[in-house]
Amino acid sequence: MRALCWNGVNDLRVETVADPKILNPKDVILKVGLSTTCGSDLHLIDGLIPTMREGDILGHEFMGEVVEVGAEVTKVKRGDRVVVPSFVSCGECFHCAQEQYSLCDTSHPKPELAEPILGYPTAGIYGYSHAFGGYSGAHAEYVRVPFADVDCFIVPEDVSDETALFISDAAPTGYMGADFCNIQRGDIIAVWGCGGVGLMAQQSAMIMGAEGVIAIDRYPERLAMAEALGAVAIDYTKVDVVELLKELTGGRGPDACIDAVGMEASGQGMEQAYDRVKQALYLETDRGYALRQAMMACRKGGTLSVLGVYGLMDKFPMGMIINKGLTLRSAQQHGQAYVPRLLEHAQRGELTPAPLATHRFSLEDGPKGYDMFKHKTDGCLRAVFAP
Amino acid sequence: MNAAQDPEDLDLAARAAVTIGRPADALRLLWLAPDTLPRIMSHFADVEPIDERVAQWSMEAPLGRTLRWRTQIEEKASDHLAWTSLDGADVPNAGALQFAPAPGDRGTEVTLDVRFDPPGGLIGEGVAKLFHVVPREMVLKALYNFRALALTGEIPTTEPQPAARNGGMDK
Repeated sequence: MRALCWNGVNDLRVETVADPKILNPKDVILKVGLSTTCGSDLHLIDGLIPTMREGDILGHEFMGEVVEVGAEVTKVKRGDRVVVPSFVSCGECFHCAQEQYSLCDTSHPKPELAEPILGYPTAGIYGYSHAFGGYSGAHAEYVRVPFADVDCFIVPEDVSDETALFISDAAPTGYMGADFCNIQRGDIIAVWGCGGVGLMAQQSAMIMGAEGVIAIDRYPERLAMAEALGAVAIDYTKVDVVELLKELTGGRGPDACIDAVGMEASGQGMEQAYDRVKQALYLETDRGYALRQAMMACRKGGTLSVLGVYGLMDKFPMGMIINKGLTLRSAQQHGQAYVPRLLEHAQRGELTPAPLATHRFSLEDGPKGYDMFKHKTDGCLRAVFAP
Repeated sequence: MNAAQDPEDLDLAARAAVTIGRPADALRLLWLAPDTLPRIMSHFADVEPIDERVAQWSMEAPLGRTLRWRTQIEEKASDHLAWTSLDGADVPNAGALQFAPAPGDRGTEVTLDVRFDPPGGLIGEGVAKLFHVVPREMVLKALYNFRALALTGEIPTTEPQPAARNGGMDK
């Protein structure tokens, strides 16, 4: 089959590889319908996250059709059109029982690579380096999905492929971020980042009854998409964000702040220069501008919901959390906990992720798609691949 | 047994624990089942059960050498399993498995100890040259594999799977 492979820092190629096989009895093989780029892939492509191997297939956000079924799969059938969350989860362990699916105890095939970095291995992820399990990714014609009865969700007929695609990752990540905010009547939620995850966090906060949602980014087309969802959009290059947030909230500050930016945050001035230099020298992996601004802006006693992906950041202003009594919530997406209700929200027209698919490519044009996505060329919000 | 106590022995002994949401009886039976050790130790050695108590281990070591030994299980108590290598082992070793109830409804705490006592000629080469997997990693991965097997009936794997190397299928 054909697959989009990582061959070194900023070196992506579409190559011919073998087809995946069923390896364990609860596996299925999926014929990929659509897959998409994610900002966190850029960390891998740029070499900010180690333990990629030359020839690894990328891609962790996808949907498709079941074409082969393992001996112990009981619910999922050949021909089912399904969406699959990015993390492999067994549904049987302590963490899965608590719906902490991205912390699954049993799905990481290479715990010896993760344990020295994090203390304990996370769940495995598709196409996301060997420290995260080394599973082959979904930018390919076919992908193997373990624990299919737990991880495959049938897409209802009235939900399109594009909508289902983002219910693999962007939507559940954003929805979980809003869920972390425990939104109460009157709450105003500020969201840093208007990429796929940020926009989905904004829409999710509205679904959960937020009084208002404020979106922060610098790209006009992304701010326009946030406004179209009903958010108040702020261009952080044009205003003092913290001051404006106070003004918009009667001096209280947002009740919860969601960071949907992560380690590649752009900032301004000296702080940005400091972060960028340290990152370039590999002294730290993260540029934490958005997160630090969110901590400053958040009201006292508020919630900081961190969805952006970070490595090992120094210069973290812990005093802000202690003195302001902030609650810090964070996780990689526990998608399996949210996908059923997200599909229902999509059916009712409350969740509308399809517009995230601004640019569509054949799999063969995958490297071009990533290049446009990385540089946000032509307003590219997400590049979607159809094998 | 607390094999890791002596700092001089650290590289040749290892101890780790996992908590598994299953009762100790079931875990003990699973550990003793004939196809369990071959599956959970496959990252370290080929294990072939000879009978209910004795297993044959063989391991491809660096420099094209194959190391072989037999272990025999000596049951001590219902919450404890121990094994030692029999005479003639290339690398004499011993291991123990302890089951203890975990707090609340968390199941059972399973602690694995191993200790290797290579003969003088081998020990001088150091652990890194003796094994392709150090004891710490051997113990940890065996326990993670055992937990996965106990909870899901399978061991997570990515081998073989497609990749643009080794002719398109990674081993």
